[in-house]
Amino acid sequence: MNVPRIAWTVIALIAGAAACASPQKARQPFEEKIPGSLVSFKMVPLPDGEITVAGAKHAVKNLWMGATEATWDLFDIFAFKLDLPEAERQNADTRARPTKPYGAPDRGFGHAGYPAIGVTYDAARIFCQWLSFKTGRKYRLPTEAEWEYAARAGEKTAPASLAEVAWFWDNADDSTHPVGTRKPNAWGLFDMLGNVGEWCSGPNRARLLCGGAFLDKAKDVHFGARKVQTDAWNQTDPQIPKSKWWLTDAPFAGFRVVCEG
Amino acid sequence: MGMARKKALSRRDFLATSATAAAGLMIPKGVFAQGSDRLKVGLIGCGGRGSGAATDIAAADKGAILWSMGDLFQDRLDGSRNWLKEQLKDRYQVPNDRAFVGFDAYKHVVATDVDVVILTAPPGFRPDHLRASVEAGKQVFMEKPIATDAPGARSVLESSEMASKKRLNIVAGTQRRHDPAYRECIQRIRDGQMGEITACYAYWNQGGLWMNPRKPEWTDLEWQLRNWLYFTWISGDIIVEQHIHNIDVCLWAMGKNPVKAVSLAGRQVRTDPAYGHVYDHFATEFEFDNGVKLISMCRQIDNTAARVSEQIVGSKGVSNANSWIRGDKPWRWDGERPNPYVEEHKNLVAAIRGGKYINEGKTVAETTLVAMMGRTAGYTGKEVTWDQMMSSEQRLVPEALEFGPMPVAQVAMPGITQFR
Repeated sequence: MNVPRIAWTVIALIAGAAACASPQKARQPFEEKIPGSLVSFKMVPLPDGEITVAGAKHAVKNLWMGATEATWDLFDIFAFKLDLPEAERQNADTRARPTKPYGAPDRGFGHAGYPAIGVTYDAARIFCQWLSFKTGRKYRLPTEAEWEYAARAGEKTAPASLAEVAWFWDNADDSTHPVGTRKPNAWGLFDMLGNVGEWCSGPNRARLLCGGAFLDKAKDVHFGARKVQTDAWNQTDPQIPKSKWWLTDAPFAGFRVVCEG
Repeated sequence: MGMARKKALSRRDFLATSATAAAGLMIPKGVFAQGSDRLKVGLIGCGGRGSGAATDIAAADKGAILWSMGDLFQDRLDGSRNWLKEQLKDRYQVPNDRAFVGFDAYKHVVATDVDVVILTAPPGFRPDHLRASVEAGKQVFMEKPIATDAPGARSVLESSEMASKKRLNIVAGTQRRHDPAYRECIQRIRDGQMGEITACYAYWNQGGLWMNPRKPEWTDLEWQLRNWLYFTWISGDIIVEQHIHNIDVCLWAMGKNPVKAVSLAGRQVRTDPAYGHVYDHFATEFEFDNGVKLISMCRQIDNTAARVSEQIVGSKGVSNANSWIRGDKPWRWDGERPNPYVEEHKNLVAAIRGGKYINEGKTVAETTLVAMMGRTAGYTGKEVTWDQMMSSEQRLVPEALEFGPMPVAQVAMPGITQFR
């Protein structure tokens, strides 16, 4: 859990000083529906612009981002093949699907409307491939720079009141909360900080969990907050080998998707 | 060392054995200086949990060396040996003549000069494995549950008593008891931080687990053993095999065992014969002598509401039994959560190396009996008391085992199935 964050503090300082480009003319949000299910979720356009993270400038163009973290409602369809007719769910699938989870992946925090948790980076990444296949759009995990660009939504400083926008140690009661129940940021994105950390791709194939989570103290919930997976994240998974899909000890690990325009 | 000598030594106390090995050093506590001397480990039951436990004890103590291994099946033994060789590197020291296969493998492992054994074969075998280990003077780590029927649990009670007389340490795989957060929280509850306990809730509701489709060359017995979860005589059924963890936490908080149980249970979805004859859900009410009730649920059905947790309700607060107490005197755990699977071995090794004596045999045997009481209440549909369970003569594990025909027990039918 406690991983070195010194490097990321440096990034945060640099990013804090970076200027995000001013928003251009807004594109329209849209509602994505999963074929074969009743589940849909909202995608909002990110204004084109750029951000400097760790000294490198990144352009963000023609990108939509999930207004909320990916929920169990959405992830269950993928994990339990709910998009397939019941008779076909037992059959081998041509597309990779998560193995059966050990224990209760949602930790009893809540399910419908709550963020999917305890998922590995690969589970989130392969979910995006499946989602692209289902919808015909190009979904993927955000890069670290895209995530921070979206999280800041043009702000240079931390939110005036963290408790208004984020679930964390002080207000979360040791549990995740339904997505979208704190105030959104200026671009209509909920829970960028807190609730669950969000998987992003970083430089040199780094896999970064961004933004802090419900059990983090305030000092660890900010635009530069990053975690990298350690052995502790699946230490009580009794299976050999340990699951490539589920993290038994990382109830703070979730994700949200982006879609290329 | 010749066979006769080895055998003679195996019957003696571990401390005496080690003292001999240490060239006549007569101070038992000096045998294992802190973290330095080798601790020879024997692994009995080389499946996933056993192989994991071997790495856990290695992580817990740098002197731990895997010395001997035994399993029922050659392929399981080989797979585990290959994996552990890679994981443990030079602390894997299991030549072919200390690796054993078959129903008697455990006897050969305890006959070696190992100091401590890890008992991780399926639960139906545990009583015999524990008895042999204690008789041979070995220190013990054993996985839960410790038996699948009452005669087996009583055998474990006896062996634990024997271990106590020999000052052999026993740690059980109810790892929540070794998690510092659980320890502090339960201590606070027992110290009265939220008043008197008025109710307990325990849950292990999840999806299904693994299943190995039958191969044509397998006999009935081999098929059952390779799918041991689904046969009560080997696993104890889901309430005993898996849900025991959560029941154990509630008994720990209460500091006593319930006196009776009723249960609504059945086999509703997982009905394919590939899944043997066990149930897929139990909802059980245990009652203590002071009228306090423990509501317990366990389920293994895919795509249903999952929950693995405990809740303790007091007259002045409520707690999840590990990281928080809410009420008049709130409290939150704010420390690290080290791996409890390693912690349990650290505690065992600390005791072996001269720390405070530890013997969890009686506690885990009683918790297993409580879970069996719930299972029996579910199977029969009747109220089952602790006294009935403790005195039950019903044997589920066959007296002698050999590969061949073995009929599958009937699926229990509440109101029809009898309890003896």
